Amino acid sequence: MEPPKIWRERRERYLGIGIICEDCQKKNFPKTRICPDCGSENVKPYKIAERGTLKYFTQIMNTGDELIFNTPYIVGLVELEDGIKVTAQIVDCDFKELRKGMKLEKTFRVLARNGKEGLIKYGFKFRPI
Amino acid sequence: MSNEVYIIGTGQTKFGEFFNLNIGDLASEAVNKAIENAGIGKDEIRTLFIGSTVSNSLSQSSIGGICTRSCSLSSNAYRIESGNASGAAAFHHAFLSIKSGLYDVVAVLGIDKLSDYIQNGTIEKILASSIDYQWEYEMGATLTGLYSFLTQAHMEEYGTTLEQLAYIPTKNHQNGVLNPKAQYRYAIPLEKFLNAKRIADPIGRFDVATPCDGAAVVILASERYIENKKPHSYKVKILSSSAGSDTLALQHREKLTELKATRLAVNDAYNKAKISANDINVAEVHDSHPIGEILAIEDLGLVPKGEGGKATVEGLTALNGKITVNPSGGLKARGDPFGATGIAQLIEIVEQIRGNAGKRQVEDVKYGLTQNVMGTGVMSYVSILGRGDN
Repeated sequence: MEPPKIWRERRERYLGIGIICEDCQKKNFPKTRICPDCGSENVKPYKIAERGTLKYFTQIMNTGDELIFNTPYIVGLVELEDGIKVTAQIVDCDFKELRKGMKLEKTFRVLARNGKEGLIKYGFKFRPI
Repeated sequence: MSNEVYIIGTGQTKFGEFFNLNIGDLASEAVNKAIENAGIGKDEIRTLFIGSTVSNSLSQSSIGGICTRSCSLSSNAYRIESGNASGAAAFHHAFLSIKSGLYDVVAVLGIDKLSDYIQNGTIEKILASSIDYQWEYEMGATLTGLYSFLTQAHMEEYGTTLEQLAYIPTKNHQNGVLNPKAQYRYAIPLEKFLNAKRIADPIGRFDVATPCDGAAVVILASERYIENKKPHSYKVKILSSSAGSDTLALQHREKLTELKATRLAVNDAYNKAKISANDINVAEVHDSHPIGEILAIEDLGLVPKGEGGKATVEGLTALNGKITVNPSGGLKARGDPFGATGIAQLIEIVEQIRGNAGKRQVEDVKYGLTQNVMGTGVMSYVSILGRGDN
């Protein structure tokens, strides 16, 4: 994990800041300098919705080394109330309790650890409401 | 004179775990076999296009010089990367280099050595490099986790069942038994796939292709070269080589029930080859996960949309079925050394067209197709091959 990268992504990871295009009005996450939909440079920061519904989910049994401490964990594709979709972990629940279409809310958590004494990366996950 | 492009030679190592061989060892075996097969001199090769995902090691990403030295080649060489589809991407560029009239003879080497990285989660990170590393992998997803979403979307939309999905690797392992170059030359019963532990529900632990070691080479030549030199080997014509793209992350796609990049690539490929899906006799497709083959055969137009599972159960895609899919055993039974996979797919189609496929020979092959995919389908390459006398 690279400290400058963690610092650079802080607004997206910690606050969920994406963009809204002032020309085509489309919202996008993560941020880009030009609108991915219409190519306009006329974009401004936009904070993504805090709540959404679960579209798809699965339980991850095996993954890369900085995330392996957390396995097994649940990851899902969440559609937010503003139409933006994100991939994120689903926490504070049991895999068997989860259902497609469940209402979820964003929560601030540890995403990855670089060993016992290394950096900790934070970001958002979702939990059932 | 038109500028048609032909495959005049092929060479391939066995795929598997070779802890005693380095990348140069694998490259030289495949290159030498291909040169011998083509009946040309090493000095005739103008450029070596290398399709490779992780190369020699995580720190030696420039492998052109390593491959030319170990193969005793004096040509230019460079690496082309397109994740798990690096082999097909390199082939596409080699094809363009001859089609443009610039070169007459080039070689394409697909190569990866992944058995060094199977421990400690490294292979999962390598696989994550062809999905959205920041906003899928770092958020918790893996390549197999994302294929689980694709599987669920298809099951929901078209009623595809776990049993239908399990028929894919079962069939491909049956074919792999007949392929001397395959990593796994044994059949696995359907029940074993169905009863296995789920690694990313609904995907089971035996469903996923295994990253391994291997190298595969095809040698391409121009029509002008063949008319002047007439190499002895039976030539196979490249009717088209096309590419398509989609978004990197699944969350940015409108729907998860199709591989848009594959659809775009194949439409272009059929147009350029002036044939349709009905003309294809044999196809090698990207079955890294069972849903990958179902999506591939549907989006390539080989079976109607939504009926990939049903068609597989009915045996339409079995060896000498209506259209044979993955006679080599596919990524699942052949093993998946990422960069080498796309080239091994082409070699299988060349062998089928030449009539050299032994016990897995499909009857009367006129046209064959390959489809190689990066990640969950962000880039897709489709090539159509035909007999040299077409």
